[in-house]
Order: sequence, then C-alpha cells, then structure tokens
Amino acid sequence: MLLPFFQWLESLRFGVAVDESGYFVAAVNVAHLLSLTVFLGAVLMVDLRLLGRGIREQPLAQVALDAQPWLIGGFLAMLATGLLQLLATPMKAYYSDQFWLKMYLVLFALAFTLTVRRKVTQADETRLGPVWGKVVGLISIAVWVMIAVQGRLIGMLQ
Amino acid sequence: MSLRSWFEWVNEFPSSVAIRESIYGYPYLLTFHAVSMALFAGLIVMMDLRLLGIAYRRTALSQVQKQLFPWQMFTMGLASVSGFVLLYGQPTRYYGKVFFWLKMALMVAAGVNALVFHLTTYRTVAAWDSSQRVPLGARLAGALSLVLWAGVVVFGRITAYNWMTFE
Repeated sequence: MLLPFFQWLESLRFGVAVDESGYFVAAVNVAHLLSLTVFLGAVLMVDLRLLGRGIREQPLAQVALDAQPWLIGGFLAMLATGLLQLLATPMKAYYSDQFWLKMYLVLFALAFTLTVRRKVTQADETRLGPVWGKVVGLISIAVWVMIAVQGRLIGMLQ
Repeated sequence: MSLRSWFEWVNEFPSSVAIRESIYGYPYLLTFHAVSMALFAGLIVMMDLRLLGIAYRRTALSQVQKQLFPWQMFTMGLASVSGFVLLYGQPTRYYGKVFFWLKMALMVAAGVNALVFHLTTYRTVAAWDSSQRVPLGARLAGALSLVLWAGVVVFGRITAYNWMTFE
C-alpha cells in the first residue's frame, strides 16, 4: 500500500544527491545512535524507579519530571535523524522486515508511553499497587530495547 | 611475541573461526553489543548531566551515583562480554582498524577520568552533595566523561565500516 510513497521518496534521489561517499548516511547513523543513548538513559531513569530501583529517594512523579526534557529531546533527535536516514535509503527500509517491525513497535511504545506509563508515573504512589509500576516499567524497557535491536538489524539483515 | 602475532594466533582458534563463519553470529552479537552499550552509555549520560548540574538537581549527587552504579556495571558487563566475543571472532580484522584502537584508547581515558574524580573531588562530596552549585572538579569530570563516552560510541559505530584500516 505504501510502496508508491516509498518509490516517490526514492525518486527524489536525496540519498544519491548528498551522499556519493556514504559518509552522510554514516554520520546520520552515528547521530541517531547518540540520540538513542540520551533517550534510553531517560527511559531507564524512570523505568528503574518504576521497578523500585534507581533513585528511590525521590517520588516517582519527580523522577519522571526530571527525566522528561531528555526523554522528549532524545526522541525528537531520533525522529529527525531517522527521517533523514529514511530519505536517504527509502527502498532499503521498505524491503526490510526489521524496519516495519520497528515502526509498529514504535507506534505501540509511543501510545503506551503517552497513556499508561504517563498515567502511572503521575499517580499517587501510595495508591498505586506494588505490581502495576513493575509491570509498566518492564514493558517499557522491553519494548524500547526491542526497537533498538530491530533498528540495528535493519543495517545488517536483508 | 608482538601484539599482532597474538591476534593472529587467536584468529586460528577453531572457536574463533566458528564465530566468524556462523551466518547469524555477527549480526546478532553486534546488535547485542550495540544495544547494551547504548543502555550503559545512557546511564552514564544521566550521571554526567547530574555532575554538570543540569539534571536531577533535586537528588543528592551521591544518591544518583550510588543507585545508578550497579546498573552501569551490569550493562557494562553485557557490553564488555559481547565486545570481547566480537573481537575473539575476528581478531585480525579489528587489529587493522584505526577506529577500534581509538575506541580502546578513549575507554581507557574515560576509566582514568572516573578514577581520578573518585579519588579527588568526590572525597569531599558530603560538603556539596545536595547543593545546587556543583564544584568545578565535578563539572569537569562530567563534561570529560560525556565527551569521552560519546567518542567511544561514535568510534564503536564506525568501526563497523571498513574505513581507515591498515594491514
């Protein structure tokens, strides 16, 4: 269904125009990875706290608030570098199972983070049972790790 | 024996050859290494931001340090073991990569930076633990750590390309 769109991206020949040497895609890759480290750091600060580890001295909502700018900043940087990567090599993405799996996981992770995880991190901890925080923290870590795994595999499995 | 001949010696081990020749060994090992490295570096970045005094300022620095440390060690363990297996599987390939050696050098520098910080500025942490003003030594250590580990991630990533290799 989306094939014409990807073919149109390919027809822009953005990748070829800016990147005869291959250095551009490499630089975008590196920037995407650096953004990921910041993002994952912010995710882990809150998820570890949800699991009852990490900085326990602070209320959960406080940790989430402190981590938020790095979470959002890291995500936006990943989005920008990811879109550049997609513009440079659209057909490689289109024919990669890992790419599509990653996109579905990102949609799920975003929805989960903006609804359930957000709700739980802002909830009154004393009223939040001991189990829910742990479940949410584990799901969040697992999904973002799977996204990172698929992302790395796009470059290697054809 | 020269360093090169050690690498060449390991290169001939049957277990090294087996890793090298397995079809999915390299992509999955490399992915495991990259993701565990990203988790580790993420936790390091969060600590560095606290050292710089720009994040998690409401929490005492010693608390952030103490409670992130086990997770930093755990993820570093995952990245180190997978990194070692990657090297073990292709020793002569990595021997010839400038980026690989730069990464190793930066890791040593990052380790020295952390050690120096703990032996100097961090000794007086009780005096400034919860203060909004982090001493210059701590901010310096945080900035250096950020730059050095970013370098490790960058050189690690571009080690996967075949640029800047020698015989």
